[in-house]
Amino acid sequence: MIEVKNLVKKYGNFTAVDNISFDAHPGEIVGLLGPNGAGKTTTMRILTGYMPVTSGEVKVAGYDVIEDSMEVRQRVGYMPEQVPLYPDMTVEAFVLYWARLRQTEKPKQRTQDVLEQFGLLDRRKKLVRSLSKGLRQRLGLAQALVHSPSVIILDEPTIGIDPKQVVEVREVVRSLRENHTILFSSHILSEVEQICDRVVIINNGKIVAEGTTDILGEQTHSGLALYVHIDGEKAHIEQLLHDLPAVTDIQLHESGFIIRGHDEELRHAVMQVVADHRLELLEMRPVDRRLEDIFIKLVN
Amino acid sequence: MQATWLVFRREIGQYLGSPLAYVMGAAFLLLTGITFNNDLTLSIGYKPLAPALIPTLLASILILFAPLLTMRLLAEEQREGTLELLLTAPISDSSIVVGKFLSAWAYFTILLALTLVYQVIAVSISFPDISHMLGSYLGIWLYAGAALAIGTLFSSTTENQILAAFLSLVTLIVLYFGDAISQIVSNTQLADILFNLTLRGHFMASFAIGVLRAEDIVYYAGIIVIAIFIAIQIVSSRRWR
Repeated sequence: MIEVKNLVKKYGNFTAVDNISFDAHPGEIVGLLGPNGAGKTTTMRILTGYMPVTSGEVKVAGYDVIEDSMEVRQRVGYMPEQVPLYPDMTVEAFVLYWARLRQTEKPKQRTQDVLEQFGLLDRRKKLVRSLSKGLRQRLGLAQALVHSPSVIILDEPTIGIDPKQVVEVREVVRSLRENHTILFSSHILSEVEQICDRVVIINNGKIVAEGTTDILGEQTHSGLALYVHIDGEKAHIEQLLHDLPAVTDIQLHESGFIIRGHDEELRHAVMQVVADHRLELLEMRPVDRRLEDIFIKLVN
Repeated sequence: MQATWLVFRREIGQYLGSPLAYVMGAAFLLLTGITFNNDLTLSIGYKPLAPALIPTLLASILILFAPLLTMRLLAEEQREGTLELLLTAPISDSSIVVGKFLSAWAYFTILLALTLVYQVIAVSISFPDISHMLGSYLGIWLYAGAALAIGTLFSSTTENQILAAFLSLVTLIVLYFGDAISQIVSNTQLADILFNLTLRGHFMASFAIGVLRAEDIVYYAGIIVIAIFIAIQIVSSRRWR
C-alpha cells in the first residue's frame, strides 16, 4: 500500500510537488492524472526511492521511503515513462538480470513466468533492440513484475504505443489488480476511467480533485458535449442552436459546433431544430470529455 | 557484494559481446606486436630484449585507451534511463560503480594477459630478466586500474559518452605529462615533487626499470580509491537533483 502525507518536493526554488496527500490500498488501482509537468513523475520517483522528499511523509508497503529505502525498493515494481532497456541484451537475460539484482527467489523460474505472462517467451532469445515499441512496453512491465512486488508504479505505460497495444497494456494492468497496489499515471481521462478505481488529479503539483471515477464524473460532467454539423449558413445555425434552452454553451469547432447542455434533452433539442427548420444534419456525436476541460472546470 | 558481482558480470558480458571490444583488442595486439617485433629485430645484433617493453608502451597508450574503454560505463546508463532502474533496485550505489569499474579493469587484464604471448616468445629464445618483466606487468596493471578509475569517474559526470571520454583524456594527459611545467621553473626540487605526482613518475622511475616500491603501489591504489569514491558520490547525487 501507499501512504503519502503532505508531500513537498522542491527543485531549488521551483516547487514540483506542493503538499499532496493520498493513499492506495492493496487490490486497488489508483490513477494519477494530470497534464505534463504536473508533478506525476516526480511523485512516482519519490515513491520508488529514486529521489528524496523535501518534506512530508511517504510510506510504501509499510516502510518509509527514506528510512527503509532498501525495503521499499525490494517491494516496488517500477516502469519509468521512457521504458529503460539494455538494447544489447537478450530479452531473457534482461529480465533475469533484474530478477537477480532484486534478490528474487528462484530468479530463473520467475523470469520464465513473467515472460510467459507477457507473451515474450517465444522471443526470449531475441535482442532487446529488435523488439517493437509495444513489445518493449511489455518487457518493461515484465521487468517491473519479475520480483513479485506488492506495489506497482507505472509511469504513463500507454504512451507512444499503438491502440491495440494500449488495450493489451490496460488489460494487463487490470489483471494485476487482485494482489497488488497499483499506481498508474496518465494524462488521458478515458483511460483512467476505464482502468482505475480511484483517481487523483494533480495540476501544478497540487491535488485538484480526488475520488472514485464515478464521483469525479459527476463533479465534472456538467452535462453532455455534442459535436453537431448541420448543413447551412454558419451564423444562422449558430443562432438557432444558441436559442435552444437546453444549450448552455456553444463554440465553433471544425466545420460544425460543439454544444454543451443538460443530458439527453440536448439531442432531442437538436433533432427538433433540424426537423422544424428542415435542415440537414450531417453529423452529431458526443465529444470526449478532455482532461483540459476538466481542469478548466475544476480550477474555476 | 552480490549486486557488485551481478553488475560486473553484465558489464563484462557487454565488453566481450560487442564487436568494438574485439576491434580494440585487435588494435591493441597489433600495436604491441609491432613494437615487440621491432625490439626483437634489434636484439639480434645490438642489445638484449627489453623486459619492460610492452608495459612501458602501454603506459602511454592507456592515456587514449582507458577513456575509450570506460566512457560507456555510466554515461550510457544515464542516457538510456537504466540508471533510474538501478537506483531504484535494492542495491547500493557503490555496488553499481564498483562493479562497472572492475569489469573495465578485468577486460583490460584479459588484453594484458594476451600480450604475455610475447614474453613467452622472449623467454623461449633469450634470457630476459623475468622478475623485471613480471614487476613491470604488475606496475602497468595497477597503472591501468588508476587510468580506468579516472575514466569511470568522468563517465559518471555526464550522459554524453564523447564528453566523458574527452574529459578523462584531458585529465590523463595532465596527470601523465603534468610535470613538464617544471621545465620552465628550473627548480629541481619542485620538478621532483611534480614528477612524483604524475602517473608516469610512478611507473617510468620504478616498475619500468625493474624496481618495486611500496609508494608506487600506494599512489595507484590511492588514485583508484579516490576516483571511485568521487564517482559513487556523483551517482548518489543524481538522487538529490
